[in-house]
Amino acid sequence: MANWCMVIDLEKCVACQACSVACRMENNTPVVSPEEAKNGRAIRWNDVFPLPVHIAPEQGEYPNVKTHYATRPCMHCENAPCVKTCPVQATYIDEEGIVRQNYDRCIGCRFCTVSCPYGVRYFNWYAPQWEGTLENHLNPDELSVNGSLEGPAVRPVGVVEKCTYCVHRLVKARERAAAEGREFRADEYVPACVQTCTGKARYFGDLDDPDSTVSQLSKSLRATHLLEDSGAHPKTLYLAEG
Amino acid sequence: MTKQPLSRRDVLKLGGVAAGSAATLAAMKNFMSARAGSQIQTAVEENVVASTCHLCSAGCGILVRVADGKVVKLEGNPMHPVNQGSLCPKGQAAPELLYNPDRITSPMKRDRTTGQWTPIQWAEAIQLTADKLSALREAGHPEQAVLMHGDTRGQMRSFLTRFMQAVGSPNVVSHESLNIAAAKLGMYLTQGIYNLPAYDLENANYILSFGANLLEAGANPQRTIAGWTFGRRGRANRNKIVVIDPRQGIHGAKADEWIPIKPGTDAALALGMANVIIKSGLVDADFVKNYCFGFDNFASGGERKGFRDFVLENYDPIRVEQITGVPSTMIARLAGEFAGNGPSVAIMPGKGGLLNGGFGGVYTAMAVHMLNALVGSIEKEGGVMTQRYMPCANYPKLPSDSTAAKGLKTERIDGAGSKFPLGRNSYQSVADAILEGAPVEALFLYDANPAFETPGNKRVAEAFAKVPFVVSFSSFMDESAELADLILPEPTFLERWGDDHVEGLGYPGISLYQPVIEPLYDTLNTGDFFIKVAEAMGGSVAKAFPWKSYEEVLQFRLKDIGADWELLKELGVWFNPGYRFAKRGSPQWIESVVGAERLNAPRDGYFDLYSRELNCFVGKMKKDELAALGITMMGDGANLPHYEATVFAGDEAQYPFMLNVVTLMSLGPRSDAANMPTLQEISGMTVRETWDSWLEINPQSAEALGLVENDRVNIESPFGRISTQVKLVAGLRPDVVNMPFNQGHTAVGRYAKGRGVNGLEIINPASEPLTGLASFTNTRVKVSKS
Repeated sequence: MANWCMVIDLEKCVACQACSVACRMENNTPVVSPEEAKNGRAIRWNDVFPLPVHIAPEQGEYPNVKTHYATRPCMHCENAPCVKTCPVQATYIDEEGIVRQNYDRCIGCRFCTVSCPYGVRYFNWYAPQWEGTLENHLNPDELSVNGSLEGPAVRPVGVVEKCTYCVHRLVKARERAAAEGREFRADEYVPACVQTCTGKARYFGDLDDPDSTVSQLSKSLRATHLLEDSGAHPKTLYLAEG
Repeated sequence: MTKQPLSRRDVLKLGGVAAGSAATLAAMKNFMSARAGSQIQTAVEENVVASTCHLCSAGCGILVRVADGKVVKLEGNPMHPVNQGSLCPKGQAAPELLYNPDRITSPMKRDRTTGQWTPIQWAEAIQLTADKLSALREAGHPEQAVLMHGDTRGQMRSFLTRFMQAVGSPNVVSHESLNIAAAKLGMYLTQGIYNLPAYDLENANYILSFGANLLEAGANPQRTIAGWTFGRRGRANRNKIVVIDPRQGIHGAKADEWIPIKPGTDAALALGMANVIIKSGLVDADFVKNYCFGFDNFASGGERKGFRDFVLENYDPIRVEQITGVPSTMIARLAGEFAGNGPSVAIMPGKGGLLNGGFGGVYTAMAVHMLNALVGSIEKEGGVMTQRYMPCANYPKLPSDSTAAKGLKTERIDGAGSKFPLGRNSYQSVADAILEGAPVEALFLYDANPAFETPGNKRVAEAFAKVPFVVSFSSFMDESAELADLILPEPTFLERWGDDHVEGLGYPGISLYQPVIEPLYDTLNTGDFFIKVAEAMGGSVAKAFPWKSYEEVLQFRLKDIGADWELLKELGVWFNPGYRFAKRGSPQWIESVVGAERLNAPRDGYFDLYSRELNCFVGKMKKDELAALGITMMGDGANLPHYEATVFAGDEAQYPFMLNVVTLMSLGPRSDAANMPTLQEISGMTVRETWDSWLEINPQSAEALGLVENDRVNIESPFGRISTQVKLVAGLRPDVVNMPFNQGHTAVGRYAKGRGVNGLEIINPASEPLTGLASFTNTRVKVSKS
């Protein structure tokens, strides 16, 4: 069984935000109102931001300053706090190492949004809306697991949603392979953000396959995790700048 | 799949009744077998169409997923050489353009007295336009029809030009004077090619970017991002990138070195480096001796000063340090690194750069480009390439027509070639000319929103009010369309035919736009519209357009590219990969690499370090004539690249900051992008802002003014005052402030309108006297708490 993993090379990332928007278009995350967005409630499962997250005077003094940028999907932690705190097992780690979210089971208690060290879990405070003709562009894919909705079809108000490594693309790729009567290959599946990355900074594949690009990159001296000491055993890998 | 799914309520019930019981847990575990129980439902009919993105000047290839007749997702076309499968946020958000609720759904006419818009039929629009143009021709003044266009490339540009020529007007004005014309002129006056160079970034070991904003909004952002990241981590040895720009931005942050130069002094830095390179004997001797003109002094009606002596006399690093604020030791180091770690390349700014119209911008572009010549990086792996194009079938000769011939001989309305001797287009000057009384009877705006995107844009409305017949082809009611008499909406790029040249890699290619779905509304491709107008006009104009549709024009023009129409439609792009470098001095070198497009100076394959082309314009001028063009150098100096001190609008004591309006990756250069809600949401990422404009200021300067993050401030220049909020940005010179471009719309649509302010409102509306470039970077402002 594969262990899916993403690797992000921060040296090649140019903070263009294509990943954020590709994720939105693929996963039907709504645009919130400008006021909500200003309050930090924009729903971008994959976000790009300058570091440090809070404005700090210790960035250096002009001209010896350097801004750093980071991009952040779900870490798909191996010891995921969100899974541990979810009282209804709406969020769970599947057999292939993806932290998934079942929207039919979610009761909107938001324990997970608080427990996640990375802030990647988003609560739908309002029913998602697309003005007028805009809703025509919604991705029609609808993944269900044993009859329960797992996206990217639009989620209702009052549930928590998150990055799924575009797991519906995995299901589709497997179905396509089956329909064509052949074996599914790991490289047939990439999340939308990886596919669109302008700097080719993102890699995706099976971490347990010693020949895969991601497992090779995981041995890089630059390889690191975000908040490695969080105890969550984050899986998504970063390659540090420099 | 036989198990009944658990509903949310069931789970709650289970949780309540039998919490922790073994049975519940078992049920849940069973439920968790995600892979076996996964089921996907999707659209009934799915299709993927290859096309081209039109949201900036890069022209990336796209694969459009059409599900049940709706565009649901764009991906980059992996076969397209510019983006190679990638797609930037603008392209990703393109369905929001297509399905935008504020699109114009039919042609409309405006009553100027009431300001009311009423829908009309296309037939009426065609007749009105044909009548107007015919009347102008009958009156013997076809040149009073003017067409302004934006980033219009591919065949559309030559098509529109042909239409205007058939009518008899030389007045097709490109918006390039707002962005890339400075770099094009720099290339033209040295290398003799009027185009942007392509840079072999992948093979360059050392990249020196003079404010070229390679990662956000350069001339071809996706192409330069790909080259940049490949040079960092795609190959065995990592390159070095140095960014010279008063603002760090993303490219400065991602580079190895950021040099916050004093704005407008890039020419001095480049020449200071040239000084060190020459003094240290690091020049490519073969190239400067055998393939360059004017390195040494030469005789031509007396002793003339060459590049070497001029630079050695005038640009000692110590003096350059005083001009630029860059330490002389650093200049020497940069020069050594640049000349000693080849292949290296110095990049001129394209769009979003700092050159544009800082008065002397052309000299800056020349100085930067000459660094490439000094180290022999012209037409060399890892250096500068010259863009080549697919052979397009020639249009049939225009029918002879005395009215048109007479009209075409008149001076251009924008002053290009007359008032601005070196300029080829002066977009922002059209408004000035109209206000000064130039007769314009009909004005067409294609892909153009001058009432928003030109410095000092307020005067545009005033000017357009004097034109009796204004037509906009915008898909949105933008600031300029609001001033029009007719709005004739063009479908978005996802619903129409078109094409684009593949640029930035040197080798030639064509990228096709095709209607991936039927047009949503009662819109018409502007190409088709003009064909119909020509038909209605009859006579020689109709004869010039023997095609039934714009699609046919494309088929005609692209018949010789090597792919047939069906293949091109299937792949979306066709190109001849592999750039072959011409040998120095070879026939190909002379035909296409150096000197081929010179209009006056000899096309002899010599790279001009002493610009003979410029000499044809300014060589015989006297001091006061030169001064009127903003040139302080006399004699040979006027033909050589040199530093011209920027003439700022506003004196330093009263207006201490230079205002720089920066194009962002997110909102990009096009007005309609500002009405895409997702792009609005992500627009201010670097300063933690969203849906608004802002003013970037250095924290030291802010402290001196008593400003803290998010304070409201007034920004005042000699041309006006605007107000926005302040953002502290450490990576910025203390004497420069920045504002984002493409906010502060007063029209376009519900998402764009009223979002902050437009910094261009208070930018100097003047044009550079030599070239007609808009002056983006010579406005000083003062900032105060409001």
